Amino acid sequence: MTSTLPPQASAEAEAQVARQRFTEGQRAERKLGLLLCAPAVIVMLAVCAYPILYAIYLSFFRADLRTPDANEFIGFDNYVTVLSSGLWWNAFGVTMFITVVSTIVELVLGMALAVVMHRTIVGRGLVRTAALVPYAIVTVVAAFSWRFAWTQDLGWLAGDNAPLTEQWSSLWIIILSEVWKTTPFMALLLMAGLALVPEDLLKAASMDGANAWQRFIKVTVPLIKPSILVALLFRALDAFRIFDNIFVLTSGANDTSSVSVIAYNNLIRGLNLGIGSTMSVLIFLSIAIIAFVFIKLFGAAAPGASEEKR
Amino acid sequence: MRTTRAPRARLGAAAVLVAAGLAACAGGDDGGTPVINLYGAASAAGFDQIIDACNEEAEGRYKIVGNLLPSDADGQREQLVRRLAAHDDGMDVMSTDVTWTAEFAEAGWIKELDEEQTRLASEDTLQPTLDTATWKDKLYGIPKHTNVQLLWYRKSLVPNPPKTWDEMFEMAQKLKDEGQPYEIGVTAARYEGYVVTFNTILSTYGGTLVNEDSTEPTVDENTVKSLALIKRLADSGLASASLSNAQEPEVFASMQQGKAAFIINWPYVLSAMRAAGETDENSKKIADDLGFATYPSVEEGKPPRVTLGGANFTISEFSKHPDLAFEAAMCMRTPEHQLMHAINAGEPPVAESVYEEPEFQEAYPQYQVMLAELQTAVPRPVTPLYQNISTIVSSLLSPPKGIDPESTSEDLRDGIQDALDGKGILP
Amino acid sequence: MSTIETPRRKAAWAAVDLVVLLYALVPVVWIVSLSLKTDGTLNDGNFFPRAITWDAYDQIFNNDDFLRALLNSIGICLISTFVALILGTMAAYAIARLDFPGKRSIVGISLLIAMFPQIALVTPLFRIETAIGIFDTWLGLIIPYITFALPLAIYTLSAFFREIPWELEKAAKMDGATPFQAFRKVIAPLALPGVFTTAILVFISCWNDFLFAISLTSSSNARTVPAALSYFTGATTFEKPTAAIAAGAVVITIPIILFVLFFQRRIVAGLTSGAVKG
Repeated sequence: MTSTLPPQASAEAEAQVARQRFTEGQRAERKLGLLLCAPAVIVMLAVCAYPILYAIYLSFFRADLRTPDANEFIGFDNYVTVLSSGLWWNAFGVTMFITVVSTIVELVLGMALAVVMHRTIVGRGLVRTAALVPYAIVTVVAAFSWRFAWTQDLGWLAGDNAPLTEQWSSLWIIILSEVWKTTPFMALLLMAGLALVPEDLLKAASMDGANAWQRFIKVTVPLIKPSILVALLFRALDAFRIFDNIFVLTSGANDTSSVSVIAYNNLIRGLNLGIGSTMSVLIFLSIAIIAFVFIKLFGAAAPGASEEKR
Repeated sequence: MRTTRAPRARLGAAAVLVAAGLAACAGGDDGGTPVINLYGAASAAGFDQIIDACNEEAEGRYKIVGNLLPSDADGQREQLVRRLAAHDDGMDVMSTDVTWTAEFAEAGWIKELDEEQTRLASEDTLQPTLDTATWKDKLYGIPKHTNVQLLWYRKSLVPNPPKTWDEMFEMAQKLKDEGQPYEIGVTAARYEGYVVTFNTILSTYGGTLVNEDSTEPTVDENTVKSLALIKRLADSGLASASLSNAQEPEVFASMQQGKAAFIINWPYVLSAMRAAGETDENSKKIADDLGFATYPSVEEGKPPRVTLGGANFTISEFSKHPDLAFEAAMCMRTPEHQLMHAINAGEPPVAESVYEEPEFQEAYPQYQVMLAELQTAVPRPVTPLYQNISTIVSSLLSPPKGIDPESTSEDLRDGIQDALDGKGILP
Repeated sequence: MSTIETPRRKAAWAAVDLVVLLYALVPVVWIVSLSLKTDGTLNDGNFFPRAITWDAYDQIFNNDDFLRALLNSIGICLISTFVALILGTMAAYAIARLDFPGKRSIVGISLLIAMFPQIALVTPLFRIETAIGIFDTWLGLIIPYITFALPLAIYTLSAFFREIPWELEKAAKMDGATPFQAFRKVIAPLALPGVFTTAILVFISCWNDFLFAISLTSSSNARTVPAALSYFTGATTFEKPTAAIAAGAVVITIPIILFVLFFQRRIVAGLTSGAVKG
């Protein structure tokens, strides 16, 4: 639009005016977009930019909180140390297992719960509220009560067994406790998605002879895909960082440590800022990969994706 | 045993302290009276009385303000370390666990006591407790309270308490064969309490975990023997099935449930069992049947060397009033206040003289056993890297069934060496 | 779908509801039971207490520190939720509806913040807060809570906003409304179910936070309940104040239930107004 040539035909002039109006509208939209995002972005950056960059910086140093003057640049040595450690990979495997199993179970249970909360015709308020209670209980206390319940003699679930002293039974208890607590999170997000599914679409499908399951798969699921993505994404991010449940239930005994438990032991207990930060960055990278896969899988349903194509 | 005992938790006392803290924290030193901020200890039952008494005694020279820390040791250390590393001058006196001395001293976070202070702090104080406050031959802490585990057993089942682990295994096996309660309860979950168990057995054999300068691990045949003993317990069928997840509450419960005939636990067992007995018939029966004896040794005639618990008062390097802080700390642990503390909060005194007080002996009928154990008690490895070593030890030894004495001791040597060299990662 | 509410359907739904209630509440009843057990029966392994005592509740309600923490929790979480929702709604609207440069990076940044392990951020945050003097204040917790709630808020809200029939907005614009007016008058009411859902999630995540609460406070000035629970001490060092902690957990779940009940109606209300859209 920088042409200095005089307009040669009135049609062309009109087109140019239209284009100018378009760019003006576009400029206003850009401005509004940035303006609306600015406060959130400023807050997030102000709080997190320095701590995150500092953690990444520290991951390249031999650094101990007790000897702040002895920091020494060691390149990727910390990464080599962590990635060549069997402990790390064992914890990584445990974490992946917990993440995958609990996220899948939560998605299925959460969807079922969401449908019940959305559709039930009796005691809807009661069900919707009660279903959220597990998510509302303080995690550490919930974990502690599970530990109590599963301890031989102390708890009503354990009977004469001591399931928290074996790797597999411990892992299943950890998953149970995680699933129980966070399924409501999933369910609430999915329910809000269900609320946006237009009734007439479902009616139309019903008239076309679709049964309930077909309506759900063909109409509802595609429509609530963005909600599913967000719910899955944020659950997976959190599940991968599982800490409290393991810390309270087994403290990582019998090979049940997660990457966060190991990171905590190195960073907070061991005060090893270098190794601890390296682990944090690695956890971050693992989660980033998980997130990337999810977003690729769900394609255009991701926020910020070119939604005009929908 | 106790004149007053809150049913389970003492929260009211803590609240008063905090209310006082609020008023003082904001203003700091204004008004002329220097404020001595105490971190830790303050939430213990009845500690507000001790603070009040000291503030009165100080006659305006200082005012102690109690600030709370989380109730678990790891949580306390996390808070203190974060603030000390930031050179926070808002902390004056800290109650630090006996295992933190070397670490805090080496990092330059706590003040070394001068000659006169060392003399004052050592007066009427059991030597082993002073060892926990010493790093490189200098005293950094004022012993505040101590602790030692002892053997608790059922008098009706065990007429004469076992003197050694061998005897205890034998008796337990016999009880098991007779269909009586037989379990041996020991803390062996993957946590600090397991290191306490291991350290006691190792020290009784005459071994240590690291050398005196904490430059290398001292893994030898004593380590192997100690590991073999724990392994034997795990495999004997005489321990609880929950052994590998047992912390103090689980061990206590195994006695309370009538499953255990023997448990190794701290002195609180008696008072706690009596308190439980007030609302429960079974617990009352157990409390009446509860006997105590010296920690079993590894062989006849060799006295056990029991691991010290407890805490010291230390003075922050960044305190604005280090001398007043010392004075305040000394006041909070006079024999008289130690006695109050022992009776109100169940934390045994470090002053030998208190063990002679009739009031103390009445509250702690097991005082003789405790005092005997205290005379020969040992600290956990005194090294700035204690936390790392403890994390490694508790994880390598967990679960107890998985121990292979020879190879686990090799793993211990490598793991501790790596920790001392700052290599590798913690499990 | 409007279906006829026959008694049989009602009974079927009641049965399903019962399953949901059992799933959600049995473990909660266990926590309640722990809070009511006496010293002597705490360890007996019974699901229901054999003897009931209200001591634990007595204690926490006579504990000024706990009550102050409850007040802190309520204030800090309400403010954080409110601010995070406003900022999040603005950003999510822009992301869902407007075309502007840097949109993807904004989405990326917020996800990045949601992904970074928070334990690595606590110590630097502590240092920043002590340096600027907001350590151990409400503000010192509100700011990180807003920050870490924003990614979830932005993602959730933009997912919902994209499902809204935007033809209505166009219609409003044709009637001469500015983009902002269209946002405020037409779209915001339609977006309510999503907004209130997000409100509940954000509120609960603040309410349950332990890490920041314990690391960025040092007195009852700003300490919230999850942190205060970890300050409870047993009668002696090695006794856990199990009943008091359980009672504390029960008590602090009640405000959440009220909060959810309150917003519950709004979600339903949002639905009815949303029905107009079809």
